[in-house]
Amino acid sequence: MRRWIGLVLLLLGLAWAQDRTQVLVYGGDWTDLITLDPQVVYEFSGVMIADNLYETLVRFEGTDLSTLRPGLAESWKVDRGTTDWILTFKLRRGSRFSTGREVTAKDVVYSFERALALKGPGSFLFTEIAQLKPGATKALDPYTVEVRIPKAASPQSFLSILTFTIGGIVDSEEVQKNAKGGDWGKDFLTNNSAGSGPYRLVRWDRGNQVILEANPNARVKPKVPRVVLRYIQEPAVLRTALESGEIDIAEGLTPEGLKAIAANPRFKVVRAETLRLQYLGMNMKAGSPFANPKVREAVRYAVNQDELIQGLLQGNAVKIQTFIPKGLLGYNPATPYRYDPERARKLLAEAGYPQGLEFELLTSTGICGGGVPCPDVAAKLQADMARAGLRARIRAIANAEVLATYRAQNHQMVLAGWSPDFPDPDGNATPWTDYSARSLAWRNSYNDEVAAKLARQAALEADPEKRKALYKVLTEKVLREGPYVVLYQPSQPIGLSAKVEGFLKNPMMSAPLWQVSKQP
Amino acid sequence: MGAYILRRLLMVFFVGLGITFVTFFIAQVVPIDPAAAALGENAREEQIREFRERYGLDKPLLIQYGLYLKRLLALDLGRSLRTGRPVAEDLKEFFPATLELALAAFLVAVALGLPAGVWAALRQNRAPDLLVRLLALLLGSTPVFFLAILLLDLLHRQLGLLPGPGRLDPYLIPPPRVTGVVSLDALLARDWGAFRDALHHLLLPAFVLGSASAALLARMTRAALLEVLSQDYIRTAWAKGLSERRVVLGHALKNAALPVLTLLGGLLGSLLSGAVLTETIFSWPGLGRYVTQSATSLDFPAVMGVTLLVGVVYSLLNLLVDLLYALLDPRIRYA
Repeated sequence: MRRWIGLVLLLLGLAWAQDRTQVLVYGGDWTDLITLDPQVVYEFSGVMIADNLYETLVRFEGTDLSTLRPGLAESWKVDRGTTDWILTFKLRRGSRFSTGREVTAKDVVYSFERALALKGPGSFLFTEIAQLKPGATKALDPYTVEVRIPKAASPQSFLSILTFTIGGIVDSEEVQKNAKGGDWGKDFLTNNSAGSGPYRLVRWDRGNQVILEANPNARVKPKVPRVVLRYIQEPAVLRTALESGEIDIAEGLTPEGLKAIAANPRFKVVRAETLRLQYLGMNMKAGSPFANPKVREAVRYAVNQDELIQGLLQGNAVKIQTFIPKGLLGYNPATPYRYDPERARKLLAEAGYPQGLEFELLTSTGICGGGVPCPDVAAKLQADMARAGLRARIRAIANAEVLATYRAQNHQMVLAGWSPDFPDPDGNATPWTDYSARSLAWRNSYNDEVAAKLARQAALEADPEKRKALYKVLTEKVLREGPYVVLYQPSQPIGLSAKVEGFLKNPMMSAPLWQVSKQP
Repeated sequence: MGAYILRRLLMVFFVGLGITFVTFFIAQVVPIDPAAAALGENAREEQIREFRERYGLDKPLLIQYGLYLKRLLALDLGRSLRTGRPVAEDLKEFFPATLELALAAFLVAVALGLPAGVWAALRQNRAPDLLVRLLALLLGSTPVFFLAILLLDLLHRQLGLLPGPGRLDPYLIPPPRVTGVVSLDALLARDWGAFRDALHHLLLPAFVLGSASAALLARMTRAALLEVLSQDYIRTAWAKGLSERRVVLGHALKNAALPVLTLLGGLLGSLLSGAVLTETIFSWPGLGRYVTQSATSLDFPAVMGVTLLVGVVYSLLNLLVDLLYALLDPRIRYA
């Protein structure tokens, strides 16, 4: 008898252990994860996870980053006041936090004030881009929120910013209950969640795993009730873990690993678009050869973009020459420059360098967009440019040091990357064109008042069609005159078990895991 | 004896102080700005300035070092630039995993190395001896990462005999965190499934990490025992007609133990600090991985914290070994 009971228990145990459709295991390098507090988090993996824990007033769906959709707010409108933009949000009734409390206007006010008070790395989105002030968010009634931002700020940018985790709504009572001193519950929300998203955080073992479970009170029910994010850094081990079925999704495989996986019917590969741009920055400060527009134009003709993308990057990138990435409003597909070393040489001669030009190309020793070592990208560019008489001396140093040199305007030419801080064209337009923003335009000494004015005008334009037209003018201008050569927009390939369905990652690196299902 | 221990503890203190001095000033020689490393490519000027002020990076070196020492007296290791948390808390989180792995590897090394060494010594120049020496040479000279990936591929991916990377099956519900040593936590929670799985997950990384030490230990034990076996009192013991068991266990091993013991103390220390590659390959969330990430992001408070912790543990282990000497060999006196 006993033996039978034992056997039945054993079988039950096996049945439980093998119901693997109820757990989704996602392997990758999550070491940048330092907090899951929506108002503080600013790292790729943290943003991706927090996105599954918290809801925002408005949101983007799937990979489309140009159409706003309802989130916690079922509707919203933008009014032109005398000195301010007035945004009014109507909350939908019946959204609940994981604690069971209803989401109300009070929580929205608390969350926005919290973002301003905590001054996290992303707080400049609220304070500088949207110019939001403490006290500017008001609860008109339990389901209506009014936010006022100055006329000088862009309501479109603000709405885009609200889709980002910093606009995630937290349970104000729960957070206040766990607050210590004046920390607005920052310590608590680093390791715990208090949101209305499809999942709640149950455990985070640093360096090991993050475990999410379905939020029992959420409006949106996830298809897989439990998600485990496993830290796996080594690409070879990542591949082994995927092939042995230990993980369902693998992020960070090498191009060879991906090739092997794509050839095996048990697996598939999805390519997530990113908003990252890899580019060359040329310092235009007085006395630099790149201050001469003919030299900059010569460089544009001296880069063999097609070979770079097809060869070195094995196709894991989009060809682009303008500075608003594909996926955002205002993306301009123009690619007028193609590899022409003869023409480049002629331009150089016209610029006063008939014997060619020698300069330093600064690059990181690390990995560039598309998973390729930056020195390899630099070497390819060096070879292409050499045929046009542009002799680059490559100096490869630690990325932090590249940035320090770049920030001090001490470079001649730099190979660098950029990702916008929020999914709106202004996340690129201002830093790339406005000298006074002290970002990329400033670092490359690109001081063009017309470009900066165009960027400001476009940011404030509420009509999407007019906005697009303004960005077309601006991108073409920078394409021909600016200090940049945009090289490519990398995509991020991810390996999956064929049993996983519905997985996607959008260009802002958020992955709605609640839509993913797993076949037995 | 008491005075001796006190003096040695004082020495541990000075070793620690020396470590802080050396790591602190090495960190300053690296010509890289930690603020740039921590904040990334989009950071604006004032963010960088704020960061430098918050972490005191704008103060003169000696003052920074003084402040560090002052905080250290209160057992405050400072804040990590990368995680923004107190380094002491990070260490508390990552050290148990390394300790668990290092102890398991130590057990593997002792369980394999000691008997193999004894066996080889007793069968000197015969087949077992040659076999042990060959294996020791092989294991001792195979790079850790190569062995790790080879075994992982063979035993995990192809044969499915052993679990993959990590400390626990991702489909299991992990036991509540008490000590941070997963196998111990599973025991405390009486979760036998998790306990078995945790041990199962330990096997491969512990073997990989411990194998080189096992090889070293086998060779050391063999040499020490051979030396003792050639001495007069052993010959006397044989002559008295004692069994091999009595001669080896009762007389020889005890005296061969001293050099082996010295090695053991050092081994445990080096296992603790040498787990970097093993931890990376087996996705083991320990100090090794923590310190590599900290180093690549120029997180000096974290690197200094780890170095200090490992240095102090190493010194304490040495002290422990010296004290054990007295128990094993009454001729050794402490003054």
